[in-house]
Amino acid sequence: MRDILRLVVVLSVICGVSSAALTLTRHSLAERIEKQSDLYVRGPALERLFARPAGDLLDNKVKVDLGEQLYPAFYVREGGQVTGLALEAPGTGGYAGDIIIMIGIDLPNERMLGIEIIQHSETPGVGSRVEKASFRKQWVGLPILEPVRLRSQGGQIDAISGATYSSKAVVNGTNRIIELVSQHKDEILAAIEAKEN
Amino acid sequence: MSFKKILFHGLWKDLPPFRLVLGLCPALAVTSSVENGLGMGLAVIFVLVFSNMFIAMLRKFIPDKVRIASFIVVIATLVVIVEMTMKAFFFPLSQQLGIYIPLIVVNCIILGRAEAFASRNPVLLSMVDGLSVGVGFTISLIVISSVREVLGAGTWFGLRVVWDGFEPFQFMVRAPGAFICLGVFLGLMNAYSRKRGELFIQT
Repeated sequence: MRDILRLVVVLSVICGVSSAALTLTRHSLAERIEKQSDLYVRGPALERLFARPAGDLLDNKVKVDLGEQLYPAFYVREGGQVTGLALEAPGTGGYAGDIIIMIGIDLPNERMLGIEIIQHSETPGVGSRVEKASFRKQWVGLPILEPVRLRSQGGQIDAISGATYSSKAVVNGTNRIIELVSQHKDEILAAIEAKEN
Repeated sequence: MSFKKILFHGLWKDLPPFRLVLGLCPALAVTSSVENGLGMGLAVIFVLVFSNMFIAMLRKFIPDKVRIASFIVVIATLVVIVEMTMKAFFFPLSQQLGIYIPLIVVNCIILGRAEAFASRNPVLLSMVDGLSVGVGFTISLIVISSVREVLGAGTWFGLRVVWDGFEPFQFMVRAPGAFICLGVFLGLMNAYSRKRGELFIQT
């Protein structure tokens, strides 16, 4: 009995100290990691979506509360009006977890400019193929207020063969962003005004 | 073992992955360029030294039955700290190394040294052992990746080192080249050791 107690206590203490160390490290590095991620991942993604240098866009950033976590949103101003938004959201149901996607939105025309994959842990060579331009170009010009579905479910998006979960996750993320725009667009625009004043 | 032996054994006698046949997966996967090999090597040195240190510090307190579980928790924590630090300060390198950073947790070199040395030796000697084996691993990675990068891409650490008109052997930076390179080095080392009468097959 005493031995079992010792096993439990030792293992619990080791796990406890490890968790504390990890939380501390994560907390102190989180901001730096996000800045790096902006520079190396989101920056190039924004450049591709809006055809502008990343340097102009990375400072135009607000945070959107999606319930479980805050996600960044970027905006483009033309002549005083916000004409473009890039919203980020998790797509649930991926093979190995959520796929974080970013959709560029043309506000005046209410269309999508395109989709970028920000982060995923899908199988290399299989699910990772959602990153390919040939898959993502299906999003260019889609209306921003209509939900999307895979072709196998009556919709218009061709999934990657052999990577149904990953394709579905990207579709789920897209619908999350569509929901965000249709229900919270005004709040996002208000947050942008608040930031700049 | 004398201190000097511990300091140098990782550099030839117990050199991973050639003598201590462990850590083959990263030796194959990340050696397509010298920069990646060096980055991985430094990450492994950090994890090895500190995991050996913590495990040696705790060796008298960890009951035998939960030994492996405790080692793995310590190693995994250190690897996640390395991963976060790399993402914070060397983001492009972490993108290149990709999933092979978290895979350091299951790199058998680290668990192997924890079990074979750190769990039964004092803290300072364990740290030196970790350093020795880690540096040996890094040197091996640099040697393999030098050959692969120069022959397969015509560069060394990103700098072009071949003459104009040199057509790189593309397969060297892909999987087949990795296996061939590893096998050739292993064969050469074994032939050399055999000639010197060294005992290198672990029984």
